[in-house]
Amino acid sequence: MVNPILLIIIPLGTAFLISTLASALKNTTKYLALLALLANVWISISLLPEVLQRPINVIIAGVKPPVGINLFVGPLGAVFSVIISIAGVLILLYSFKYIEGEQQHKYYTLFLLLITGSHGMILTGDVFNLFVFFEILAISSYILVGYAGDKNGFEAAVKYLILGSIGSIFILVAIALIYEGTGTLNMADLAGKFSTLDPARRLMILVFFITGMGVEAAVFPLNSWLPDAHSSAPSSISAVLSGFVIEIALVVIIKFVYTIFAMTEVLGFLAVAGVITLLVGEFAAFRQSNIKRVLAYSSIGQIGLILFAMSLNSKAGINAGMMQIINHTASKSILFLTAGYMIVKTGSYQFSDYRGIAKKMPVSSFFFVLGVLSLLGVPPFFGFFSKLNIIIAALHAGGAFYITMVFLVLLGTIIESIYFLKILQVFYARDTAILDVKEAPFLPLLSIALFSLVILLGFLFLPQITSYTGNIASELVTKLQMAQVF
Amino acid sequence: MNGILSVSTVLNTASAGLIVLGLYIVFTQKNLIKMVIGLDLADTGVNVLLVSTGYIKGNTAPIFSKAGLQVSQMVDPVPQALVLTSIVIGFGVSALALALIIRLYQKTGTLDTSKIRGLKW
Repeated sequence: MVNPILLIIIPLGTAFLISTLASALKNTTKYLALLALLANVWISISLLPEVLQRPINVIIAGVKPPVGINLFVGPLGAVFSVIISIAGVLILLYSFKYIEGEQQHKYYTLFLLLITGSHGMILTGDVFNLFVFFEILAISSYILVGYAGDKNGFEAAVKYLILGSIGSIFILVAIALIYEGTGTLNMADLAGKFSTLDPARRLMILVFFITGMGVEAAVFPLNSWLPDAHSSAPSSISAVLSGFVIEIALVVIIKFVYTIFAMTEVLGFLAVAGVITLLVGEFAAFRQSNIKRVLAYSSIGQIGLILFAMSLNSKAGINAGMMQIINHTASKSILFLTAGYMIVKTGSYQFSDYRGIAKKMPVSSFFFVLGVLSLLGVPPFFGFFSKLNIIIAALHAGGAFYITMVFLVLLGTIIESIYFLKILQVFYARDTAILDVKEAPFLPLLSIALFSLVILLGFLFLPQITSYTGNIASELVTKLQMAQVF
Repeated sequence: MNGILSVSTVLNTASAGLIVLGLYIVFTQKNLIKMVIGLDLADTGVNVLLVSTGYIKGNTAPIFSKAGLQVSQMVDPVPQALVLTSIVIGFGVSALALALIIRLYQKTGTLDTSKIRGLKW
């Protein structure tokens, strides 16, 4: 068995190695980062079949839980590690050409720390440890948002930092209240003891925790930082932030509500919050003229959709939500990464300036179309199956309430398709005002192409994918985690 | 402490006060430096809350400093370990915030969020 703790140690160690060896290695540090992430991909994939048999519980430093800290790798952790490592390695490949300059080792150090935090948040079995990894993830993403060093980047980074810190204050208050009430920080131990608290205190902890994590997960109304941060960051970082960072925070909320707090009665509220987030995101995206802001607002919409699906309190809903996460990671990464080179080549963020760009950048435009189609849920792309599953799961939940919600979700999708078709119309206009624009280099296109394989061929592997996501659903609904730690 | 106020009440009130005050500053002030000060205050409030969760009346610090000191005479050491971590993280975030604000000031020449009009605040 490969020890899952390597998923955290390898990127963390390499990050420090890169910053120490930066002066000797100059611009070859990126290959070190690539090696580390390739190792992560291999480890996370080799863990998958094992975890399906039996979840892995790693005891750290020989102190057994509930006193010591443990890592818990269930189906959720394993599948998310695969998503993080594969998306991470592909985006890193894109960065090879996209990020240039003498200081690039700083970018790779922070990128690896971000990956460390992501793996840690999803794998840890300790509530305070979760907070520490959350801060590793958050601090490295604050800096990466401002990496470009322009005015908008710094402004977005400061704004993200202030709101993110407020979020972490709320999380810490929730942790303090949890410890005061139950005397434990271990998630599995907590799941048993949490129900002994009185309902008012349970609700208080839940509200503090969801508010804190909700800032990072960009749930309405805590998402005002997202459009700025995701649009001002370098495009590769936008892809990371939209691709899996907000999803991780969301999944942590869902995991806590289902298994640790075991308060499924608040799920109806979360479903409404999800639909409101979806509509707010899509309506706001509709009015944008900056291409990256369109994509950022569309991420808010998608997060709302995923939250809605996962709050249905059924295995089918969680299953569909996980599929939508995979779809969103792949398709939103494609969109941000292709848009990245369009911005570099044309020097403009306004998509109205890209009139007829498909003639000059045919490959990029083609991939952009693929990303849009999968995000909208056009068959036979992967997004079709995930959206279809969400609608089916919601209709199964039944009742006038969920049927209204489904209508609103479909309304959101219609708005989404209108603004994306508007952009595609500009891309494929017959006349063009753009003169000397060339296609993006090979390496970034290769990374985008690998992402699009996921959405193109995803439907061939539907049975395998649903067997994994189905296991996640049973992990959450039947509280598998709790039985296996001690 | 004797009288009406117990130590826990004082600590809880102080931490709630600090958190509310800090968040109030963050939400009402327009000066970025003042916002960071607000965050620090709120952070301190959370730290006080964390430490207070481990308090046991009449017990001493969890260090084996004197012979014959029993574990049952000490307060809970876990929150103290947590609060150390939390202080370090808070320090790091404040330092990073101030560094970013310095760079932002160099680009815009102002610390007033209502005057930085690049993005919507």
